[in-house]
Amino acid sequence: MKFDFNQGQNILKESARKLLSNECTTEFVREIADGTREFPEELWEKMAELGWMTLLIPEEYGGSGFNFLDLSVILYEMGYHCMPGPFFSTVVEGGLSVLEAGTPAQKTTILPEIAEGKHKLTLAWLETGGVYGREGIALSAVREDDRFVLTGTKLFVQNAHSADTIICAARTADTSGTSDGITLFLVDSKLKGLDVTRLPTMSGDRQCEVRFNRVEVPETCILGKLNQGWTALDSVLRKSAVATCAEMTGGAEKVMDIVIPYAKGRKQFGRPIGAFQSIQHHCANMLTFAETIKFMTFQAAWRITEGVFSEMDASICKAWASDAYRQVVALGHQVVGGVGFMEEFDLQLYFKQAKCAQQRFGDGDFHRERVAEAMGL
Amino acid sequence: MDFDFSKEERKILDDVRRFIESESTPALLEETHRLGHIYGGPEGRTFIRKFAANGWLTPNWPREYGGLGLSAVLTAAIRSEMARASVPVVFVAAHMAGPTIMHFGSDGMKKEWLLPISRGEVEFALGYTEPQAGSDLSALDIRAVDKGDYFLVNGQKSFNTAAHVADYHWLATLTDPEAKRYHGMSMMIVDFNSPGIDIRPMKTMAGWQTNEVFYNDVRVPKKNLVGDMNAGFLYLMTALDFERMYPLAAFEAVFDKIVTYAKETEINGEPLSKNPLVRQKLAQLKIELEVDKLLYYRLAYMIDCGQTPNYQASMQKVFATETAQKITNTGMDILGHCSQLKKGSTHAAMEGMMEWYYRTSVVETIYAGTSEIQRNIIALRGLKLPSK
Repeated sequence: MKFDFNQGQNILKESARKLLSNECTTEFVREIADGTREFPEELWEKMAELGWMTLLIPEEYGGSGFNFLDLSVILYEMGYHCMPGPFFSTVVEGGLSVLEAGTPAQKTTILPEIAEGKHKLTLAWLETGGVYGREGIALSAVREDDRFVLTGTKLFVQNAHSADTIICAARTADTSGTSDGITLFLVDSKLKGLDVTRLPTMSGDRQCEVRFNRVEVPETCILGKLNQGWTALDSVLRKSAVATCAEMTGGAEKVMDIVIPYAKGRKQFGRPIGAFQSIQHHCANMLTFAETIKFMTFQAAWRITEGVFSEMDASICKAWASDAYRQVVALGHQVVGGVGFMEEFDLQLYFKQAKCAQQRFGDGDFHRERVAEAMGL
Repeated sequence: MDFDFSKEERKILDDVRRFIESESTPALLEETHRLGHIYGGPEGRTFIRKFAANGWLTPNWPREYGGLGLSAVLTAAIRSEMARASVPVVFVAAHMAGPTIMHFGSDGMKKEWLLPISRGEVEFALGYTEPQAGSDLSALDIRAVDKGDYFLVNGQKSFNTAAHVADYHWLATLTDPEAKRYHGMSMMIVDFNSPGIDIRPMKTMAGWQTNEVFYNDVRVPKKNLVGDMNAGFLYLMTALDFERMYPLAAFEAVFDKIVTYAKETEINGEPLSKNPLVRQKLAQLKIELEVDKLLYYRLAYMIDCGQTPNYQASMQKVFATETAQKITNTGMDILGHCSQLKKGSTHAAMEGMMEWYYRTSVVETIYAGTSEIQRNIIALRGLKLPSK
């Protein structure tokens, strides 16, 4: 067993921290959140130059053939800096979908473009009510001659407003026999009939409503196979859940870096508040949560990398990280007191990130139920 | 990163499992239960000597001291197997005092003690707590006076579990009462057969026994002093860091039985396990068991890297023991009224063991430092928060 990053991962982490601490300041995060600006292309290009988009992509498709664990290191740093933008939706949601579901031809076309930072994607799967399972997918794709016509509404689609391609999970059949009833479509975001609206979210991130009003796509736009989309999508969603945990790992570490120095410096009753046991115990619990989120996440990421990823792994990890990160922030708020409630204090950014990440790809209750299922309960 | 055992470790773990399966007897299990899973009873000694002959009690020790020169990860995994199988699992000599002797003991002391310890031939009992020194071990009062050739020890210890079955006392004494807190304490090894020692039982609410130990002019040879005079607090803290490394597998086994019970027990024509609340609770425990596993093996990994687990040991101890209590309390809730029934009742579930585990788990968050003390350690040592 080995609980440390290897040398390459440490270098990756340092270079990410260097870039992001310069470029992704909390001022920048606030400006994106309040809509003052959009995610800058120059930063996207810098990230591409550092090879971040290539990590998951095999060398034969223009990638660098790194692995999920390496990608998790980058996501960890992004979480630390509360980074907004289309990296997750493009590289994790989009990249994984193409990798898991795509035909060789689709991989050959799309993956090199992702690797170079020239193709932004997102994944549209949730609908009204935000039901996670396959039963929640009602948007229909009906075959008309040589094309499919997509009609319905997708919600909570990350960065759909800036994506070149929206991967849409549509219902093409009933679930029966070998058909899982779901098909993934590569939909050009400029197609007629597509209507993208930004949703006003708590954190100011770019979650969108995407309305499909008889959007017509040719059969070649099916990502992978007709009526076989759910298996791939389910795998993508599980891995995306772990990737979200990597972001939470970084977020929780940042919360510690905000709160602990504050507890050492802030004086009340003639001594630092960190000298009071009630505060010390909150901080001890925070550290326990923060460290365990990290171990659970990197164990899951390692299992994905090693190809020994089981049904239960993602759910165990996501259920724990979701609830533990929320606890870290809640305790942090309690330690910091009134100042932490101020907009100008950075803790609020992580408070929002925590709830948002908790709900993405399934919250604690959802994943505990999946664990129960996997336990044969 | 690597979150798996090596091939060699796996093979040894298979052998360990097979050994335990074939060698553990009803008499051994009964004795272990009666003693509260400590080592020292006659059945346990017979079993462990055979077990330890394979090097399995201390596999991460060097070969010259009776180990196999393998990883601490393997040692931790073997301890888990022992805990899961309900054979003796608390080894003061092999897993607390031994590593401390290895770190701080003189060559003479290592030669004298480590081999017999690794073979399971001797067991120690911890001699820390006194009536006025519980969480605050710096308040020790038992005195060891330097008499030239020997120390003369007088005083009293309490809650010294295993003193009635062990061979030696791993004793924390005051050797310089004038020194400041923490700087006047020494550790020594005392033969329980020494004249002047009186061991009196204290019965716990779990049924097993702990002890008071009285010292009345007890002579302890100088060579039994561990490391340096008056440096004992460091040794005690180090041994505590090893002691806190807690294999939760005994409670994992209880958890597995609760899961089986929930699957097999029907209420209103439906298995309990189909109840959404039961499912959420059991899934959460499953998750916490996994979290604990990582905290546990992190400690072993640190030892393999040449470090002594510090606040990390406290973190695992709190997490494991609080999880143990959640498991037993959840078990009581899921079994309902039947959970209160002891072995022998025809209505008892899980062989009447649930209520015993519920009782015995109370002490887990108390000994080796309460959860509150552990959180102080995490805050002070781990986060460097100020003490005043």
